[in-house]
Amino acid sequence: MFFHIVLERNMQLHPRHFGPHLRDKLVSKLIKDVEGTCSGRHGFVVAITGVEDIGKGLIREGTGYVTFPVKYQCVVFRPFKGEILEAVVTMVNKMGFFAEAGPVQIFVSNHLIPDDMEFQSGDVPNYTTSDGSVKIQKESEVRLKIIGTRVDATEIFCIGTIKDDFLGVINDPGAAV
Amino acid sequence: MPRRSREEEEEEAVDDMEEEEEEEEERGGKRSRAGGHGKRSRGVESFIDDADEDDDDDDDDDDDDYGGGGRGRASKRRRSSILIDDMAQVDDDDDIDDDSSDVEPGFIDDTDAGVEIRHNDVVRRCIPHSSSMLEDNEDMQEIVRRLQNRYKEASHFDYDEEVTEVEQQALLPSVKDPKLWMVKCATGHERETAVCLMQKFIDRPNLQIKSVVALEHLKNFIYIEAEKEAHVKEACKGLRNIIASTKPTLVPIREMADVLSIESKSVDLSRDSWVRMKLGMYKGDLAKVVDVDNVGRKVTVKLIPRIDLQVLANKLDGQEVPKKSFIPPPRFFSVDEARELHIRVDRRRNRDSGEYFDVVGGLLFKDGFLHKTFSIKSISTQNIKPTFDELEKFKKPGDDLNEDVASLSTLFTNRKKGHFMKGDAVIVIKGDLKNLKGSVEKVEDSTVHIQPKLAGLPRTLAFSETDLCKYFNPGDHVKVISGVQEGATGMVVKVEGHVLIILSDTTKEHIRVFADHVVESSEVTTGVTRIGDYELHELALLNNSSFGIIIRLESEAFQVLKGVPDKPELVLVKLREIKCKIDRRTSAKDRYNNIVSTKDVVRVAEGACKGKQGPVEHIHRGILFIYDRHYLEHSGFICAKAQSCFLVGGSTGSHHGNAMDKADPHFHAFGSQARILQSPGRLPPRGPQMNSGGRFGGRGSGGRGNDTLVNRCIKIRSGPYKGYRGRVKELTGLLVRVELESLMKIVTVKREDIGETAAVATPFRETCYSRGVETPVHPSRTPLHPIQTPMRDPGATPVRDVMRTMPSRAWVPLSPHRDNREDGDSTWASSPAYQPGTPRPRPYEAPTPGSGWASWGDASVNTPSTNVPSTPIGQPMTPDPASYLVGTPSGQPMTPGYGGMELMSPVIGGEAEGSWLLPDVLVNVSRGGDEVSNAVVKEVLLDGSCRVSLGPLGEGDELIVTANELEVIRPKKNEKLKIMNGSLRGATGKLIGVDGSDGIVKVEGSLDVKIVDMAILGKLAA
Repeated sequence: MFFHIVLERNMQLHPRHFGPHLRDKLVSKLIKDVEGTCSGRHGFVVAITGVEDIGKGLIREGTGYVTFPVKYQCVVFRPFKGEILEAVVTMVNKMGFFAEAGPVQIFVSNHLIPDDMEFQSGDVPNYTTSDGSVKIQKESEVRLKIIGTRVDATEIFCIGTIKDDFLGVINDPGAAV
Repeated sequence: MPRRSREEEEEEAVDDMEEEEEEEEERGGKRSRAGGHGKRSRGVESFIDDADEDDDDDDDDDDDDYGGGGRGRASKRRRSSILIDDMAQVDDDDDIDDDSSDVEPGFIDDTDAGVEIRHNDVVRRCIPHSSSMLEDNEDMQEIVRRLQNRYKEASHFDYDEEVTEVEQQALLPSVKDPKLWMVKCATGHERETAVCLMQKFIDRPNLQIKSVVALEHLKNFIYIEAEKEAHVKEACKGLRNIIASTKPTLVPIREMADVLSIESKSVDLSRDSWVRMKLGMYKGDLAKVVDVDNVGRKVTVKLIPRIDLQVLANKLDGQEVPKKSFIPPPRFFSVDEARELHIRVDRRRNRDSGEYFDVVGGLLFKDGFLHKTFSIKSISTQNIKPTFDELEKFKKPGDDLNEDVASLSTLFTNRKKGHFMKGDAVIVIKGDLKNLKGSVEKVEDSTVHIQPKLAGLPRTLAFSETDLCKYFNPGDHVKVISGVQEGATGMVVKVEGHVLIILSDTTKEHIRVFADHVVESSEVTTGVTRIGDYELHELALLNNSSFGIIIRLESEAFQVLKGVPDKPELVLVKLREIKCKIDRRTSAKDRYNNIVSTKDVVRVAEGACKGKQGPVEHIHRGILFIYDRHYLEHSGFICAKAQSCFLVGGSTGSHHGNAMDKADPHFHAFGSQARILQSPGRLPPRGPQMNSGGRFGGRGSGGRGNDTLVNRCIKIRSGPYKGYRGRVKELTGLLVRVELESLMKIVTVKREDIGETAAVATPFRETCYSRGVETPVHPSRTPLHPIQTPMRDPGATPVRDVMRTMPSRAWVPLSPHRDNREDGDSTWASSPAYQPGTPRPRPYEAPTPGSGWASWGDASVNTPSTNVPSTPIGQPMTPDPASYLVGTPSGQPMTPGYGGMELMSPVIGGEAEGSWLLPDVLVNVSRGGDEVSNAVVKEVLLDGSCRVSLGPLGEGDELIVTANELEVIRPKKNEKLKIMNGSLRGATGKLIGVDGSDGIVKVEGSLDVKIVDMAILGKLAA
């Protein structure tokens, strides 16, 4: 789920950036530092939409660096248990398949794939129904439900299922060919 | 207990006597009669039934056994021994006779069987322990009265009323009570001793002991209750089982109660619980209790039989069965298989349970399981932790593991203390509220109060701990706290009743665990992360100078991904096999000569792991260990050569440019150096041909990859030249020509067969081809040669001669292979280079008029076979040894190497299937279509073909055949064989069984029994 929230961060800035563009420098550094990171609490920071407030800088002894408390608005993405997502399959193996929804990696175990779908090894490993009408392979787009998340300091890993109504392949590149 | 055994003894004695009598009287006569009766299952029969029956019945019964068993006395014996349980091991009849000579006045001898039986009946009904007093001819009623009086006081409590703790306390022994003495006696004779003492007490009423206790679980000691130590000593005097030298030990009053208190962990065997066998062939095997006979102290269990049907068949045929030193692997019994071996399988119905069993030679089978009765003593019931594999085996198809509540209950008894914690999600598995979910509110000893999740139920419900099982939902993150996978963490993927399937965090593999063995946790580990000094994901130097990264820790062993690029090689090593850990901060150069150090992100540009990307975790000897989190195998670790990776981050393009800039001068420098220092030898023979073209023609990036490997010292890792060191002469496609240091010859080996002794890049494959493509450029460069020639002039001639001669001599054996060189070698990239190259030597004709050089050159192109005779033209004696040595490595003339290449390829090809042939193995030779004949391998030649001699004994003609004309004859059972591959390669042995595609092999010279793939077994010629 996406959230638009306000976060705060202490930015350290080298003295050489002090000048008329200090604020710009700070913002660009903030964007560079923060976008794409993941915090267990808030999820992935997708984009910074605005800087609310930059506090007073504090010169750090010894180094000359200045620490600014920065409050910024950003869009974060955090997957939740029970959430339904659309994801792209990145890898298929006999244990299940991995899919990615943006920065989040989701694993769908073969236990959580409908029983009528079977793993087919080969050049393009895939899960196929017995009649061959539905196929999950690399690059397929699936809709899945997240049933578990593991949140590390730098990564969020999810387990999903497609064993439910209205879940499964929504766009199969293999079928189009 | 002593009393019971006493009785048993008697009965045994009686039984035996009866048998003997009957046997004499009625041998033969009754056998036919007995045939009509169903055979009575020995295990179910209880000895009390036996005795209760009247004489006639008894006869019948015995006859049944005679007739059914058909083994007469022997079988009877066995039955008797079963009846008296383990006592039989110690008390044989002789023993008793000995003892009875002084303490029991021969009641066995003079008792009439019929009378005895009658007495027995009476005795059992009233006071089952006093039968031994019969001989005193006392009035029965008198005895009864006396005993009743004796016990009246003791049994005055009313058990219906609740006994308060205070009352209980009052019963504890005090100082006024008689004391308990512990007396040492012979091991295994505890019960016997107690019985003897009892007898003694009866015989001599002045004996001042109160009671004697022999405890089941206490070996080597009995307890005697008496007021004084002297009384104990008096009682013990003259008993040979009591070790007289040891003083009786007083049991402190506090401990007296404990002596006789029943162990809380007493064997609580119930049907369907899991046990393990303690003794015999099935030692350690898991078994499931089918029936418990508490009186007989016996359990009937079902287990997976370890039966060698062949042996069984032999035995039933009456053949001599050699004492086996090995135990057959557990396998399900199959009636069909048995029938195939002509084993008679009877189908019988058990009288009591009504179940049908397949009976083979007295063994009962059902659904492939063996049903066998054991003494309770021979099974262990405590701390049984069946593994999943074991349970799966016991699981019938379609049988749900979870249905087996009772079998799960075994698991529950092994729960640690504090198994349930507040907040745990639990599910009720027994009783009316089965499947009710709830969360733990409070735990009191073994009672767990839970708050049910269903509405409309009371606030909290109390359950016994064993009625509950933990419950998890898919998606929960859990940690395994016991069992094989202890310590691992992961997310629950699926819940199958009480079994969870967990996706491990680190290995990304599915683990199956019992719900009971996990707790919810947010921690992420793989389990143990450290053994000794070595931690997960550390680089370790192994004993055999190889190295690798620890990717998994198992119990006492590490799984190590070896530092071998391209193909992942996993080894399991023990702690002691690791020499040290490698903890050096090194760096390596990537393919563009950028410095790569740890934590840099690199991408693999070639090889099996092409495209994988991740941070470098370790660097050692030019090998990078890269962690790719998207890579699932080997915990995400990839091993690759530094040279086949490139640094990611920053722009690769600019790097590329830089690299080129850098590389080029380097390259030139290298080139020039190479001529002088690194490969001086390269110059004389080859300079004119390749160097000039290569260097000055600026083969550029195309050839660069090759140059990195060319001239490097390498070691051949596998194939026929395994272990040789050499210098790379040339690279062609997948093949490398290597000049061996020790053999003075150039061989061609597969690229993957070589390992570097120094960090060397695998050149880019494409470059090799591109080089082939580029070679035609060379001719255009040839004009440059003349410029160079002067350089060579001074010393060139002799050197060249040497070079020509020496190698060509080495190639003589190879010459036949050259025949097809011209037509079949378009694949060989450098051939075009060669052809245009050949005219080149001509310019030398002038400086070396006498060498016959030109003719050689021509000949080699057109009629290579003439090459051999032409060798002598070169002056073999001329060599300037020094220059030869210097020169050896590199620029070997093209032709021979070329030939060598042709030659080697079949070797390499043959290696795959042929090299594991071994002498003395029996093979089928198919020559010329369908003619197949037996032959014995005499010798395996280097090129993969074999010298074989025809005939099953190898007495026929010898001939040489290639590997693909051979087919190894697989050994049959009991035939001698040779193991042709694997760690036991070369070992001979005997096939003692076949299990699917695996053969069970008894390795000669040891007692080992190995299970080996049949495919690598070859029948040994007689």
